[in-house]
Amino acid sequence: MISRTFIRYVLTKLFFLVVTYLVSITIVFLLPRLIPGNPLAQLLTQLFQQAQTNPETIKEVYRTLMNQFNLDKPLWEQYLDFLIRAIQGDLGTSIAYYPRKVVDLIMPAIPWTLALLVPATLTAWFLGNNLGAIAGYKRNSLFERVVLTTSLVISQIPYYWLAMVLLYVFSVKLGIFPSGGGYSYGSVPSLSLTFIVDFLWHYTLPFLSIVLVSIGGWAIGMRLLVIYELGSDYMIFSESLGIKESKLFSYAFKNSLLPQVTGLALSLGGALGGQLITETVFNYPGTGFVLFRGLSTLDYPMIQGVFIIIVATLFLANFLVDLIYALIDPRIRLGYAQT
Amino acid sequence: MSSGLLNVIDVAAYYKQQVGASVKTIKAVDGVDLFLYEKEILGIVGESGSGKSTLAHVILMNIKKPLEFIRGTVRIYTGNNFLNLNSMSIEELRARVWGKEIALIPQSAMNALMPTLKIKRIILDIVKSHQDKVNEEDVIEKATKRFRELGLPEKAIDMYPFELSGGMRQRTVIAVATLLNPRILIADEPSSALDVVSQRMVLKTFYDLFRKNIIKSMIFISHDIATVRQIATDMCVMYAGKIVERGPTDDLVKRPLHPYAEGLINSIPSVEPEIRKRKLRYIPGQPPDLSNPPTGCRFHPRCPYTMDICRTKEPPALEVERKHLVSCWLYARR
Amino acid sequence: MKIIVYLLITNKRFIAGVSVFLLIVFIGLIGPLLYPVDPLSFAGPMEMPPCGRYPLGTDTYGRDLLAQILVGTRTSLYIGFLTALIAISMGTIIGASAGIKGGIIDEVLMSITNVVLAIPSILLAILIASYIKVRSIEVIALLLGITGWPWYARAIRAQLMSLREREFVYLSKMAGYRDIELAFKDLLPNIATYTFMAFVLYINGGILSEAGLSIIGVGPTKGISLGLILQWASLMEAVRRGLWWWFVPPGAIITAITSSLMIVSVAMDEIFNPKLRGK
Repeated sequence: MISRTFIRYVLTKLFFLVVTYLVSITIVFLLPRLIPGNPLAQLLTQLFQQAQTNPETIKEVYRTLMNQFNLDKPLWEQYLDFLIRAIQGDLGTSIAYYPRKVVDLIMPAIPWTLALLVPATLTAWFLGNNLGAIAGYKRNSLFERVVLTTSLVISQIPYYWLAMVLLYVFSVKLGIFPSGGGYSYGSVPSLSLTFIVDFLWHYTLPFLSIVLVSIGGWAIGMRLLVIYELGSDYMIFSESLGIKESKLFSYAFKNSLLPQVTGLALSLGGALGGQLITETVFNYPGTGFVLFRGLSTLDYPMIQGVFIIIVATLFLANFLVDLIYALIDPRIRLGYAQT
Repeated sequence: MSSGLLNVIDVAAYYKQQVGASVKTIKAVDGVDLFLYEKEILGIVGESGSGKSTLAHVILMNIKKPLEFIRGTVRIYTGNNFLNLNSMSIEELRARVWGKEIALIPQSAMNALMPTLKIKRIILDIVKSHQDKVNEEDVIEKATKRFRELGLPEKAIDMYPFELSGGMRQRTVIAVATLLNPRILIADEPSSALDVVSQRMVLKTFYDLFRKNIIKSMIFISHDIATVRQIATDMCVMYAGKIVERGPTDDLVKRPLHPYAEGLINSIPSVEPEIRKRKLRYIPGQPPDLSNPPTGCRFHPRCPYTMDICRTKEPPALEVERKHLVSCWLYARR
Repeated sequence: MKIIVYLLITNKRFIAGVSVFLLIVFIGLIGPLLYPVDPLSFAGPMEMPPCGRYPLGTDTYGRDLLAQILVGTRTSLYIGFLTALIAISMGTIIGASAGIKGGIIDEVLMSITNVVLAIPSILLAILIASYIKVRSIEVIALLLGITGWPWYARAIRAQLMSLREREFVYLSKMAGYRDIELAFKDLLPNIATYTFMAFVLYINGGILSEAGLSIIGVGPTKGISLGLILQWASLMEAVRRGLWWWFVPPGAIITAITSSLMIVSVAMDEIFNPKLRGK
């Protein structure tokens, strides 16, 4: 029973995402060329000067980059070239790790980032929603006050600082967890049990630092939603017909969950940003770490590449969540506009 | 007489609002007596702010902050014994009374159904909350039959509320509320937001429920006397938190005793010849502020027949004719 | 008005939050004056834990950490405040124009807003910051403000759109200016309270984002902020080497600022939004 409204909804979201993605790419393209001082040109000049006194490799780098950035061609030609390359999956060549391609450096990091982002966000979402719902239902109870105050404080802790504290306490002082990396030095990633255990052992602290901070945000939001739900006409009617309290709670919970699904899409962007920085604290081999290395060496192709790929991944994830929402809200699925 | 289904005795409920440092008390229902017998449809009429909806909630004892129950007794008859609703806890009320003995159809009933649940889910939840062992197919079958009885399309049960039109939604709410055959049905402004045709159908639904003995008695709350009159067997008029007159519908409409009731009925254009004979009038002034109601009879500031005693003492309920009671000093000299 | 002030003062959360925040502001403003040690002088012993002479110890370069924290607090607060100012200004202008003018202007502005909103702001900020060689504190604040205004613009637009509707109703009744004035008076308190709460949230966002930028290496290139202290600490592997006095205080203060402001914001939300009071 897929209605026209559903299709329209999906297409609208898709269109919006494609447009926004193109805008992002355009921003990436224009920025270095527009900022006073034109960093790209500066970089290339730097390299050129270095090439005078250094061996062939730098000359190679310079030539490749000139080729990629085409700073001597008119702007629109550069743009077209950039777009075509991007669609083909060529995001340029890294400067710091020449001659490796940017895409080749970033892609392996993506599964690591997703492995952290998805479970952490979902866990926080799940736990936070439950805590928040119960807090909203039991108003003016000790439970509510504790949950609210704790959430308010914990949700404002910077992920990366909590990461540092956890690292210090559990790794340096107590020695329970390793002090960084995605897996033990020297081991090779594989699907063997020993590797997985090793991975999880390294994974715990980064996971915790993200989950603990995120739970608070979801709890606060859910509590608010449940409070509003409980005051709605249909809740009052259902109650006046004698429906059991546990049922009423599940009504409020399910209805409040819908906007929280939308919220999930919205929060992914912010969570990703925070996670990237957290990865650097742990030397966790995700895209955040790659970005960090790019930033410290001012490897612009790398920085740009990370941005584009992360934005693309994010948009895809957003779209998936929007799709799921469209399927679970009967009002959209069956084709009725907002009542 | 023990065919009395509902006894409401000297019931009062106030709204307590925190305004800055002080608490404002609004005496929405202030000493109301009500009796409902089997096979009666009682209409409660009055202006907005007279306390009608609050009274409905008090009868059900569904009282939430900022409303507070001050005093009184609410007693219902459940077929083999009496229950004092005012001394029961919410859990008990939920389990034994709400939906089962009494059902309330709230104002703006169109939003009363959960938009994200199919109607049959709501039905099943109501039944499961009152019965331990539930055979789902059985329930759906019975519900479908009931829908058919009330002239509602059977497939409505499998739909979502937003898929139904306004009038149909209203009638579905009525069907859902009366599923467990509550003895007493209270409807709060059930037809006010509907077009005339839907209004008619809603009234017919109520009448069907009544005729088929699905409900025993009904309380119909509205500000629209013309509509109430069509279905109610008895009427009572509410003003400023008190009931000022009560009697059989025809008696009350043809010969209203209380000056307020008189003014109310005369202010409604009607095709009835007896009423057309009287001129169309309106009641001057405004309803009183219930946080500081007038002394004595609450209507005295607007009453054309005010006497000295009206300003100082509240009139008791007096039976002027058979089953026709009024609270007015005009009728005290007998 | 008096009622609102009364409700605010008696709300425990509000008082607690405001007290903590004001305390920190005090520390940031007056602190460096009361403790006039040069945070950047390499005078002290290296990596010394807290002791009498150096209440918060020293870092790898022998710099007094307490002095750093005091100046850093001031700077971070400044950045947060500036970010909020810029974001609110931009958001109000754009949101108000869209909400009041309507039509094409609304469509265009909203499209832009939605697109910017969809792009993760911190990533955008990192990207832009990486291109700028010299990043002063003000530049960072400007950057964060420019990447953060969208959600507020949308909210303001929504509030003002209801004003527009009323305007048409009144005009059609030919009631004249007075009713528009009344409608405005009705909305202004709503908008004012919302703006205040948004301002508070932006301060939080600004401080947290600046710290994030700093840690990853694209923070301010001059000055000392709490985020920069954390960056120096992580560059010197302070965590793994157990120099807790270096990285714990800056983060703790950030958390104190942001959580106290958050509590204030929630308390205010409860007061201005009667539905939530639940008394």
